[in-house]
Amino acid sequence: MSIARFSPFELLLLKSRSQVDTATLLLLAWVLVHRQHVSEGQRRRRLAQVTAQFRHGHELAPVMSIAHSQDLQAIQLAAEVVRKECGKERCLSVIHQAITVATDDGELSLANHYILRFLADLLSVAPMTLNTLFKELTGTPLATPEDPSRDTYWQTHDPDYHARKAREAAAAEQQHQQANARAEQQQRQKEQRDAQKQQKQQEKQQRQEQARQAREQEQRRHQESERQRQREHTEREQQRSRRQNSHQQGSQERRNNDSRQQRTSPPPPDRTTRALSILGLTPGATRIEVRHAYRRMAQLHHPDRFYSESEHQVALASARFQRIKNAYDYLMQTY
Amino acid sequence: MRDLYQRLAVSPEANELEIKHAVARCQHSALRQDAESVFAVAERRDAYDTLHDTVSDIGRLRARLGLSHGAHWQGDVANDFSLPADHAISRHDELVDRVSHAVSLYNRWRRLRGPWLLIAVFASGAGIGLALGLALCMGLLPM
Repeated sequence: MSIARFSPFELLLLKSRSQVDTATLLLLAWVLVHRQHVSEGQRRRRLAQVTAQFRHGHELAPVMSIAHSQDLQAIQLAAEVVRKECGKERCLSVIHQAITVATDDGELSLANHYILRFLADLLSVAPMTLNTLFKELTGTPLATPEDPSRDTYWQTHDPDYHARKAREAAAAEQQHQQANARAEQQQRQKEQRDAQKQQKQQEKQQRQEQARQAREQEQRRHQESERQRQREHTEREQQRSRRQNSHQQGSQERRNNDSRQQRTSPPPPDRTTRALSILGLTPGATRIEVRHAYRRMAQLHHPDRFYSESEHQVALASARFQRIKNAYDYLMQTY
Repeated sequence: MRDLYQRLAVSPEANELEIKHAVARCQHSALRQDAESVFAVAERRDAYDTLHDTVSDIGRLRARLGLSHGAHWQGDVANDFSLPADHAISRHDELVDRVSHAVSLYNRWRRLRGPWLLIAVFASGAGIGLALGLALCMGLLPM
C-alpha cells in the first residue's frame, strides 16, 4: 500500500461532483496550455466558456495550474477516467470541444496536433471521423503536422536566416573564385617559364645531336658501346624512380589508414542505457535480470502471436521484436 | 517529427559542443543536414526541444495507456517516441486503492474511538491519583 499523499488533482477529483467533467476539464486545459499566442486570462475565459455545461462544481484555477505544471500522472489519471466513463456520444463531444479549444483562430499548434491525435486514439475515434469533424469545425482539412526536425521546415519558417546564409555563401564563393583566378594566373606564368626552359633544353639537345653526328662520322664502332651504356643507365634510373614512387604510395596509404582510424568514432556512451530501456530496465541491471526481461519481452512481442491479426500488426510486432533482440545481443556482448 | 537526439545518440541535455561532435560524426548525409539546420540556431533548438518534450510525454502516456499502436500514431513519430510498455499500475486503480485504504483507516478509528477514549480517561485518572499519592507520601504538599 502506497503511503504517498493524494496529489492536488486526485483531491480535486474526489471532491468533484462529476469525475468525468473534472477529467475532461484537465484534458481541455492541457490542450489550451499548448496553444500559442494566447494570454493566460484568455485561456481561462475560453475554458470557462467551453465548460459552462459541466457539473464539476469547483474552481477552474487549480485545474489550469495542474495543466501548466505538465503533471504527467494527473493527465494519465484524467485520461483513464475519461476512457472509462465516456460513452460514444460523450467521446465525440469531448473531441469536438478539444478541436474548438485548440483552433479558435484556425491555427493548430504542432504540439496540439499530437495531443488531438492522442485524444482521438484514447476515445477510439477513427481517423476518418476525426478528419470530417475537424473539417466541419474549422473549414480546413486536418493536415499532417509539419516536421521541425527537417531542414525544409526551417527553410520555410525561417527564410531570413537562409537568405543571410546564402549571401555569405555567395561571398565565400566570390572569394574562392578570385583565389582561383589568382592561382590560374600564377599557373600561366609558370607555364610560360616552363616553355622557355623547354626551348632552351631543345636547343641544347640539338647541339648535342650535332656533336654526336660529328662524332658518328668519326667513330662508328665506339658509338655502339656508348649507346649501350646509355640505355643501361636510363633503365637503372627508371627502376630507381619506380622504386621511389612505390615507396611514396606506400607511405601515403599508411597516412590514409591513420586518418581513417582517427575518424572512426568511439561508441556512443548512452547506448547501454538505451538498450536497457528497450528491455524496460533501469541502468545497473544485472545480467540475469537482462536475460529474464528479454525472455518476457520476447514472449510478449513475438510476431507469431499476432498471426491471427492483420499483416500490419505482424510487421509492427516483428520490428519491435527485432529491436528487442538487437538490444539483448548488444547487452550480452558488453555485459 | 523525428527524435534527432536518439538518432544522433546524444542525450537531450547535451551541450552545443557535444552535439556538434555528434553531428560531425553522423554518417547519414541527409540526417546530418537536418540536424545542422536544427541545432545551428539556439531559438530553433529551443522550439524543437519544447515539441520534443511534449511528444515524448505523449509517447510515455501512450505506453502507459496501451495506445502505442493507435491509428493516429504512425510513421516517424511512432518509431522514435514509442516506449516499451512499462508495468506501471493504472492510476485510477491506484487512486481507488488509496481511497479505500483511507476509508478503512477512518472506519477503524471511528469504531475504536469509544473503548479507547474510556481507557484513556481511566489511565489519566489513575496517573493523576498516583502522582498526588506520591506527593503526599513525600510530604511535599503542605497539609
